Amino acid sequence: MEQRKEMKPPVEVRYAEELAALAAWDTGKKPIGWKLSPRAVRMFILGSKTPIPWKDSELKIQKKYLGNDPLVERCIITLAGNRGLMLVGEPGTAKTMLSELLSAAISGTSTNTIQGTAGTTEDMIKYSWNYALLLAKGPVREALVPAPLYTGMEQGILTRFEEITRTPAEIQDSLISVLSDKILNVPELGEEGLLFAKQGFNVIGTANTRDKGVNEMSSALKRRFNFETVLPVRDVALEKQIIIQEVKNLAQENQIAMPVDEDVAELLASTYHELREGISSMGHRIDRPSAVMSTAEAVSVYYQTMMTAYYYGDSHMNLGCLVQNLVGAVQKEHKDDMEKLRSYFQTVIQDKGGKEGGIWSQYYEARKYLR
Amino acid sequence: MESVLRGEKVPEIEKVSESVYLFPVRHHSPVCGFHLKRAIAAFNPDVILIEGPENADGLIPVLTDPETRTPVACYYAYRDSRGYLGEKKAAYRCYYPFLECSPELVALREAKALGIPASFMDLPYGEILLGTVEGKGVRTGEGRQTYNDDYLLSRSRYVALLCEKAEVRDFEEFWERYFEQKGLRISTEEFVRQMRTYCELSRRYSSKEELLEDGCLLRERHMANRIRKALDEGKRVLAVTGGFHTSGIEKLLKEPQKADVPHPMEAGDQEVYPMAYSMEEADALNGYASGMQSPGFYDRVWRRLQAAEQGSGTGRCGAGGDDAGRCVTGGSGADSCGAGSHGVYEETVLEYLIMVGKKARRQEESVSSYDEICAYTMAKGLAALRGKAEPGLYELRDSVRSSYVKGEVNLSTDAPLRILRELTTGDQVGVLCKGAPRPPLLTDFEETCLAFGMKLHSALEQEVTLEIFSKEKHLRMSRFFYQLDFLEIGFARRTKGADLVNRRDRSRIREVWHYKWNSQVPARLIDVSIRGGTVEEAVTNLLLKRFYEANSCAEAARLLLQGFQMGLWEEEKRLQRQFREILAGDGDFFSLSRGFSDLVMLSELQALYQIREDKELTELTRSCFQKLLQMLPSMAGIADRQMKQGMECCLMLYRTTGRRTYVGLREPLMEGFERLLEQEQVQPGLQGAVMGLLYGQNRVYEKRIRETAAGYIHGTREMMPKSAAFLRGLFFTARDYVFVSGDFLKLIDELLDRLPDETFLQLLPELRMAFGYFTPLETDRIAGQAAALHGRNKSELLRGEKVLPAVYSYGERLDHMAGKQLLESDVLPG
Repeated sequence: MEQRKEMKPPVEVRYAEELAALAAWDTGKKPIGWKLSPRAVRMFILGSKTPIPWKDSELKIQKKYLGNDPLVERCIITLAGNRGLMLVGEPGTAKTMLSELLSAAISGTSTNTIQGTAGTTEDMIKYSWNYALLLAKGPVREALVPAPLYTGMEQGILTRFEEITRTPAEIQDSLISVLSDKILNVPELGEEGLLFAKQGFNVIGTANTRDKGVNEMSSALKRRFNFETVLPVRDVALEKQIIIQEVKNLAQENQIAMPVDEDVAELLASTYHELREGISSMGHRIDRPSAVMSTAEAVSVYYQTMMTAYYYGDSHMNLGCLVQNLVGAVQKEHKDDMEKLRSYFQTVIQDKGGKEGGIWSQYYEARKYLR
Repeated sequence: MESVLRGEKVPEIEKVSESVYLFPVRHHSPVCGFHLKRAIAAFNPDVILIEGPENADGLIPVLTDPETRTPVACYYAYRDSRGYLGEKKAAYRCYYPFLECSPELVALREAKALGIPASFMDLPYGEILLGTVEGKGVRTGEGRQTYNDDYLLSRSRYVALLCEKAEVRDFEEFWERYFEQKGLRISTEEFVRQMRTYCELSRRYSSKEELLEDGCLLRERHMANRIRKALDEGKRVLAVTGGFHTSGIEKLLKEPQKADVPHPMEAGDQEVYPMAYSMEEADALNGYASGMQSPGFYDRVWRRLQAAEQGSGTGRCGAGGDDAGRCVTGGSGADSCGAGSHGVYEETVLEYLIMVGKKARRQEESVSSYDEICAYTMAKGLAALRGKAEPGLYELRDSVRSSYVKGEVNLSTDAPLRILRELTTGDQVGVLCKGAPRPPLLTDFEETCLAFGMKLHSALEQEVTLEIFSKEKHLRMSRFFYQLDFLEIGFARRTKGADLVNRRDRSRIREVWHYKWNSQVPARLIDVSIRGGTVEEAVTNLLLKRFYEANSCAEAARLLLQGFQMGLWEEEKRLQRQFREILAGDGDFFSLSRGFSDLVMLSELQALYQIREDKELTELTRSCFQKLLQMLPSMAGIADRQMKQGMECCLMLYRTTGRRTYVGLREPLMEGFERLLEQEQVQPGLQGAVMGLLYGQNRVYEKRIRETAAGYIHGTREMMPKSAAFLRGLFFTARDYVFVSGDFLKLIDELLDRLPDETFLQLLPELRMAFGYFTPLETDRIAGQAAALHGRNKSELLRGEKVLPAVYSYGERLDHMAGKQLLESDVLPG
């Protein structure tokens, strides 16, 4: 039978070797409960300039989070302190990835996660009961089913809370006392019902600024977090680099043997960058679409086009197909967005095609798919 | 530092002589001042030479006077009266600011303490300008020019690579980490060696052309000559040079250089004055050229360093305005690696965290003591993670961002960051010692401000409300403000009150002024000081100069009006003869008309301000009127584009002659109008307006108006379109005519009926203007009468056809597009 792998193995599995090498190399001071020192955590996320020794050889730690190095440093120090870390920003700015990387490096696991939705309840955060055992043995620890917050406190590891603002405000607030007192009371367990958080426990939340006003966090909860605003990548070259790296990873995981076309990546990075910023590299003013123009979306557009080329085509990126996928990514929220994209092609891409020719002209010709 | 620079080999620089010590500095850098002090003590020089234009030598006693409080600056001005820099013979100026921690000031003060001479050694400012290519160095012409050239240390590609390698955000972070902070933990010799290595490497990445264009080579040659001269006199010389120039000067010292020949200049072409400066202006973050960013932060670091050096760390550091100034204690002051200075950065960061928290709470931001604890932990943690012994400015910023800002960073949440920015910039304003050379005008300005009780040495904007008609002091203050405004000092601006010059809000009896001191104020006062010893004298001279240069009645009258506001009425009386000459030479009806209107206003103001009526002025006004009257007939043929202006002039004359003082002029005016109408060809708009005015005076014109209008309406194809302009003119001055004259509307209706569609569309804008003079009620009445002409009721007019939303939105888009294109084609103003 065919051996199938996980679609997306957790960070600690994907980078197991790097984590092991860093643990062996790391001589820095570690906060209690941490697998690595803050400096090694930084290196895991931001990469090493020179290789580190590993098993009679050397291993270069690759840079996994591109963009804002001081932000990563602030996140690490926050997690070593008494407050939770809240990553806020536009969708697709790699908040979740950063939170996974931090959890994997600090606690060795990134899977102790609450996935916030409108239907999230308090027992999905703290604990629930195995009712068969509860009926058989009464309220004992054995019958308690720990949820991620309980697990984090009990084991002294990080608990990730994704999309916290999609969760109703009263449910969010169940975190307040836990974050300040570091105690969780399970009244059903009587005298043994006090769970004291072990050192190493902390919470990383992520919140989407597009959800603002859906379930605004209470100021009491805000006070228990240090906030980090993750901004979209502002540098086109960096955005191109991210697209290339992410697509390579995806292709590798899914065994798509096709090289990444750097020119197409640049074209896509430039399109996303210009539509997001509202100004082209040649100075045209552009109407910004209301759809989220994140780097993650750009990666997805590239990858879809790549798969089409791999399975149906000749393993070469087809710009017509790219434009069709771009339409799918842009035309989500508002009808006008399509019009904005069309006028972007009619002005910016036309001028670039005229000036630079080559791939830009082909891109402009593919505008017929803008329907 | 060693690890960052690894791979770059810089040859050890041979010493030129044991008698010379070239000390490299960066302007406003505390660590450079810290080591410079030690270097002076160790080297024991006979003379200290400092990089700075040598024509400021006379200001050294002022800069080192104990009464002088930083920030201060040398202000250099050069007038290119011989046109060396171009035909424009422009004026140039630049600043050389000194903060408490500026190494150059440290050197001057140390020299004074040791009783040895100190002087500046660079070329005079004018010569530097002449040696610099336009658009480079001190001639970039962008914003404020400063003498500092620290940009040379951070502009090369080498610096960008270095920052990348050192994993820092920018050059400033690099500098703080590797020089400001690490520099405090190494010996002076080691610090100088590292500075020179760094500066030599950044110089290596600058081409010779760049150095020539910036004027660097010329300046270095001059400085080398100055040092050589002192050496030749057998003195031990310590020279404080900008780091970038140190190796250049050193190389030049090894071989004799030819002396530079100064350019001949007129007396007074070059001037230099000391002036008070402000931290805000010294902050490189504010875009005021080079220097360190956040000078307030480094100022506090410096004061702590000084306290630690003196071993008196129990006291406050005295940066002023706070109560958290705990100091580092126990510094020996004599240790080679500055152990006493350890902790100054951490203490300063903590002090700022507390200050920001306190100020944020005062602004009702929710920053708690616990936030402060978290921020402090964050700053220390970040420093440790970044391999720094202590947190610095960047860790301070990071910790405030992380622990004080609640939620996404945006305009509504970033108050703590803004407060931090303000506090790290600092709000100190310098003070010059008594007896500092300064133009008398500056003293007069300060004394006048003091007499009025104004807050002069505050960086905050002040507001003052003046009741100019009830309080004599307020009237004088208002005049003073107008005088400063006339001199373009940029000190005060009127936000409310009567604007006589632009004829707005003339009924207001109070004036509200905002004033704020900044270093531009003395700079501009110095610029205008050639015009007089007091503000009033300078204003009078400038006013007279402008008046004698004035070549139109409008301009001259406007100046009289401004002079009146500035309280110079008595002086202005002397100008009336000159005014007559201007009047005689002015052949522009519109200029005369504007001048007449201003003169009338001046006469009225005399009564309002209770000034004795000036008969001469009344005479002048009448002369002006006579000239207008004389020119009136020739106005008949004005161009269509001047129609509106012409109509307004006629209406103004009519209204003015309605006032009691000028009532005798009404009749001649009417005669003038008559003569105008007698001309062969009269611009139809003006014709309509004048006829309307005549009709206002005498109803007999009713028939004539009707006949003229009918003439246009029933005229030939060429004449018919002119009826729109005629109606516009008529309604501008006598819109009641339409209601009084029974069948006039019928005539207009006839016109509209006769006009071909295409011509109607052409005339539509003009017709809209014509009917735009009516009030809504009047429009309604006209519409009713017009409807009746066609057997309809006016209420029926209000019902329009249903417009489909798609058609409406198409129309909107079309309108938007047309508007946009008109804007782009410059047809409409933006």
